[in-house]
Amino acid sequence: MSAISVTQLSKRYRRSYAVDNVSFTVGAGEVVGFLGPNGAGKTTTLRMLAGLIRPSSGEARILGAGVPGPGLLQVGTMIEEPSFYPYLSGYDNLRYTTLLHGGVGEARIREVLAFVRMEAAADKKLSAYSQGMRQRLGLARALLWRPKVLLLDEPTNGLDPVGIAEIRENLRLVAQQGVTVLISSHILAEIEKLVERVLVIEKGRLLFDGPLHQLTRQLSATEITYELTATDETALHNALTGYGYEVTAAETGLSVQVPQGEADALLSRLAGDDVKVREARRKEESLESAYLRLVRQDSRPS
Amino acid sequence: MNGYLNTVRAEVFKLRHKRRSYVIAGLLWILLPTLLLVVGWILQTRVAGTFADEGINVTEVVQQVASPIAIARNSLLILGNLSPSLLIIIVALTAALLIGEERTQNMWKTVLTAQPNRGAVLSGKITALMLFLGVLLAGSLVASIVFGGLGTLFLPTTFGAGWGELVGLYALQWAFGLSATLFAFLLIWLFRSLPLGIISIFFLPAVLEGGYTFYRTVVGFDRLNRFNALLEALQLRNTVQELPRYFFTTNLYAPSREPISVIADLFGAQLSSDDLGPLSNLLTVDLDRAALVMAVYALLFGVILFWSFTRSDVT
Repeated sequence: MSAISVTQLSKRYRRSYAVDNVSFTVGAGEVVGFLGPNGAGKTTTLRMLAGLIRPSSGEARILGAGVPGPGLLQVGTMIEEPSFYPYLSGYDNLRYTTLLHGGVGEARIREVLAFVRMEAAADKKLSAYSQGMRQRLGLARALLWRPKVLLLDEPTNGLDPVGIAEIRENLRLVAQQGVTVLISSHILAEIEKLVERVLVIEKGRLLFDGPLHQLTRQLSATEITYELTATDETALHNALTGYGYEVTAAETGLSVQVPQGEADALLSRLAGDDVKVREARRKEESLESAYLRLVRQDSRPS
Repeated sequence: MNGYLNTVRAEVFKLRHKRRSYVIAGLLWILLPTLLLVVGWILQTRVAGTFADEGINVTEVVQQVASPIAIARNSLLILGNLSPSLLIIIVALTAALLIGEERTQNMWKTVLTAQPNRGAVLSGKITALMLFLGVLLAGSLVASIVFGGLGTLFLPTTFGAGWGELVGLYALQWAFGLSATLFAFLLIWLFRSLPLGIISIFFLPAVLEGGYTFYRTVVGFDRLNRFNALLEALQLRNTVQELPRYFFTTNLYAPSREPISVIADLFGAQLSSDDLGPLSNLLTVDLDRAALVMAVYALLFGVILFWSFTRSDVT
């Protein structure tokens, strides 16, 4: 049984779709990244999964039960920036949530506070908390009732590198306990060390669903980047643009992305046009740039 | 059922940790009885001569102001006879805490993911407010006994009789508070703006009912004229004339206004229908009828609120 199952889920606001016919499943114990730029539809999808907004069409199921429904009691969430009652302390904010949910003892509150290293600040009012402390307390709150599924929406948003590393370490430990995690981000680098599988969404449509390495391979397989230097850079530039490629300035020389099928012939083609190439470096595309290219092109990889 | 009880516990926890709760309780339990004691003391020590000259029994007046039963009765009167009334202020401020601040603090996503049963969340919050109102009113009775009892030490007052009836009025006023609670929740939820919601709770009924009274005064329904001819044609004139008997505030405060007759009797005053002009048939509002009207209001507000609350998106 899938921990999360989404079938043809759509959310329409007036004439535009925030989420458009999205389907995917997440198996029990999987840690899946949910990637997309701001406004792509990640938060709307997570809100529908958490039962906060109703889909216009389609269905979401968590642990086999329809959403909204009792299955949500086994879900921990951290959607967008975590919010709290400012007049309550960190501890009392968690206490309020445990009372609301039920079935969570006070010992568990201390346990999650220790897990996110917040015991020392637990009795301070929320108004005295920094952004990083609020994020960590938000994660603690999401873990209170030992959820089987965690829905996390940009949990490292606004954090400094140390804060990001701490949250990442926390999540790695949670994932090791067999919790299913769906974690969204608009920055691939933030979650690439955590997840093995990614969903990429843009303009409400799911562009990619598969293992992280497949995303890189498929994307880099479509285009290859060369950094070229020539004795006559103007001639090089004219030749490349003449072939219909987009040329950008590189650290040394020019950078050009070439479809894989044309890559091997590029150098001989340049030689044929009397452009003397001094150096040609084939550049490995980083995961981040592959991802950016995917969402910018807004096209499905083959 | 668990979700409901969990929500009640959580909301009571929140009320216990909010300073506003203690300010409201202090106002009702300490300030109000203290003021009545001070008025009693002033009557006894400073104004006594003036009343004696007019042939009024000062001791009796002080008894009706500052004795334990009088403090309890007058507290109930004050609860529903200001504008906006103390009752609606308490309900609105507490509703703002329980349902309004969830929006201003962006807490709905937390509340509704910790307890996804929206029906349980809403009914739990309503129950918490009713419990708070019950504690305030019961505490007000106790405070009346305590402060009034202290007053018997330095004022010519006794505990007084008629507690059973008064406790019944307190209980009824508490029960009527359900309609006010649902009304407050509904406006705060629907308007999606806390200040607008609170202002509407305070003034919307007054504006609507005042508007009616103004219309009735200006246009009148006694004789057929060009303004009320359509209503007459539709045989609605009598119904419209009867409207004030179904006004929200008229019925909401019926238990609080019940002791007015005791005060009027004390000063030998007689209220007649003519004194109330367009609202003359308010005198015929009795508690049984008011209870029925309040039940209908509660049902109406409750249905709209539950329908809206359970279906709305939380963004």
